[in-house]
Amino acid sequence: MLQYLIILLDKESVSFCGLTPSPSPKGERSCLIPLDTLKQGIRFGMIENLMIQYVYPDYELPAEYSKVIESIDHSKIKPMKDGADVWVTGSIKDIKADVSVVWRTDKQSLFNSEADIISALENVPRLNVVLTDVETFTDEDFENYRSLLNAFAEHIEKLYLEGISSQLNLLTDRMMFSKINNCGAGDTTITLAPNGKFYVCPAFYYEDETDSIGDLEHGLDIKNKQLYKLDYAPICRHCDAWQCKRCIWLNRKTTLEVNTPSHEQCVLAHLERNASRELLNNIRKHGTFLPEQEEIKEIDYLDPFDKRNTWL
Amino acid sequence: MTWNVAKKAIDYILSHENSFPEKSVIWDFIGGEPLLEVDLIDKICDYIKMSMYELNHHWFDSYRFSISTNGINYCEEKVQNFIKKNLSHLSLGITIDGTEKKHDINRIYKGSGKGSYADVVRNIPLWLKQFPNESTKVTISSEDLPYIEESVIHLFSLGIHEVNMNCVYENVWKEGDDIILETQMLKLADSIIDNNYYKDFACSLFSEQIGGPLLDNQNWCGAGKMLAIDAAGNFYPCTRFAKYSLREKNELVIGNIKEGINKNKLRPFLCLDSRTQSSYECIKCEVAQGCGWCQGENYDTAETNTIYQRSTAICKMHKARVRANNYYWNKLYRKLELEGEREEFEKNKREVKLEIC
Amino acid sequence: MTKKLVGNVTPEERDEIQMLFERRNGLYELAKILTADNAELYEKLVKDMGETGTKFQNWWDRMAEKYQWESVNGGSWEIIFETGEIMLVEP
Repeated sequence: MLQYLIILLDKESVSFCGLTPSPSPKGERSCLIPLDTLKQGIRFGMIENLMIQYVYPDYELPAEYSKVIESIDHSKIKPMKDGADVWVTGSIKDIKADVSVVWRTDKQSLFNSEADIISALENVPRLNVVLTDVETFTDEDFENYRSLLNAFAEHIEKLYLEGISSQLNLLTDRMMFSKINNCGAGDTTITLAPNGKFYVCPAFYYEDETDSIGDLEHGLDIKNKQLYKLDYAPICRHCDAWQCKRCIWLNRKTTLEVNTPSHEQCVLAHLERNASRELLNNIRKHGTFLPEQEEIKEIDYLDPFDKRNTWL
Repeated sequence: MTWNVAKKAIDYILSHENSFPEKSVIWDFIGGEPLLEVDLIDKICDYIKMSMYELNHHWFDSYRFSISTNGINYCEEKVQNFIKKNLSHLSLGITIDGTEKKHDINRIYKGSGKGSYADVVRNIPLWLKQFPNESTKVTISSEDLPYIEESVIHLFSLGIHEVNMNCVYENVWKEGDDIILETQMLKLADSIIDNNYYKDFACSLFSEQIGGPLLDNQNWCGAGKMLAIDAAGNFYPCTRFAKYSLREKNELVIGNIKEGINKNKLRPFLCLDSRTQSSYECIKCEVAQGCGWCQGENYDTAETNTIYQRSTAICKMHKARVRANNYYWNKLYRKLELEGEREEFEKNKREVKLEIC
Repeated sequence: MTKKLVGNVTPEERDEIQMLFERRNGLYELAKILTADNAELYEKLVKDMGETGTKFQNWWDRMAEKYQWESVNGGSWEIIFETGEIMLVEP
């Protein structure tokens, strides 16, 4: 069931997921959503009872937009700290904020930023690390990623003993969840772009504007909509790496199917899952922690695809 | 296909033994008409044999070459030399559609428009001598329907003991075609049973495994469990995903002889099951068992670029087939019981392929 | 010529002879295209044909000893790979 409507306030709204949009051609002005389109989008959200998330560009919006934006309960995803509920940043160095932070990074920057991330964990209430090059991970990268997660886990455990509850999506989400919790693109969440058309998620819009799933005038028209649901995802419905973003756009890019994740996506998610398991077990050695959460089981695989014979 | 492309494809496959752990392999040559290129096929087969042996590849102990031909040049010397050279590892099927009238509806020479039946049928005796257990495969489209009964009986009379036949999955069916299929199959059932053909012959239209609700969740089609290579050296999960086989969609390439297989693109094929790609109506269908699909046709007709949306163009034809099967098996088993031959029949009955591409 | 069922072998025994049968056929067909020019491979093939032939015969000897199948003068045994059944072929 639809629950969320993401409204991109501009064609240049900040990307907060794995896709890095191509920069606009030189000299092309940004494309702000027309005020009337914004109003219609908000009306659509109200009628469909959707929670709205605005995604901002990196400039100040004209004054008349503020009143319209505030006409419905919402959250703000911004490329600047001020006024954001979620701040999307391209730099992790010396970061400090009292809102959730999304740091988009490629693997190399991630591997080079261990100290900065550890420092950030003490200075932000929640850090979401979003990898922009998942599909390029090699076996060597997986090993580096495993080591890095272990280093973060050690630090988070230390913070916990000091009474600081720090959140890092890659490690702490899995401990908190009781079922899969992913972006829900095309299922629970859709995106409205400045052109008045709906998309499965912002990445589908940034990649190909013709790839829409309806518009404000005619309503939604999601073809094969069942394929965005977990029940129709043959690998994911058997998986318990519940923190995995299960990025629909990346699925389609790598496997050509929205319901099938790549090998790299699955392995990364399971390295995170296993590191979460270790972290949970280690924290529990010091006392009661998340008593309502079940133990994360030990498993002997990193890609559930390799176990398909047990469920096919 | 050039020799260079063929060689690179073989080199890739045989040098990646871990990626192909299956115990056995079938090297299948399809055209057009493959025997027009028998020299190339011969060279390829020799190279495969030599390479497998040199590499101590596990397939050397379990391989087959397979060819489906229209049978026109079957008796040519170089074709016969190839057959004799590879006989113990060769499976070779000649496609003959039935009676002359039925065969010549679809199989005509380019230019003259003359039917090929006469040129094929004269090669059947030699073919059956060399491959006594071979079957023929016949696909049925709308215009073929009135000739089913006479064609199957004709093929039996030529000495072909197994006739594999199925309706095409494409949406070619007209109003009333299901009734024609059912009528033809009922007539065929009477002919097979009344003339005792069931003792030595089999037609895959009749199978005890069709009808009834879904029993398992397996995918029907084998796409993705095979590797198809085109003349340019591109890899596909089945030839049905090559450009020349598709009407609406772009080709779906999963690799090539230079870069190898993109395993991520293969994942969706290897995760396919019945329920994930079927509509609620199909899952709940009371006669779903044996109702098949072609993954390539599904892809070509899907509303999005997916292999996970099943085409149901064959629905009414399958239901007609189920009704005719009910008649066939009820009539046959009653006869066998009355004649005290049921046990003997069950012990010796021929297993037929449920469906063919 | 008549055929008569005289026994069975286990699936493992069947697999063993089927593999040897396939290999023997493979070597035989390879021999048709391999010439002495390719000395190393040719040597390997000749040796392999001998060894495979011996293993093939050893299997029949071992099984005949183990199962004591019925036999006749001038007759031979055949195996049906699908079932593992042994048939006595009488001239």
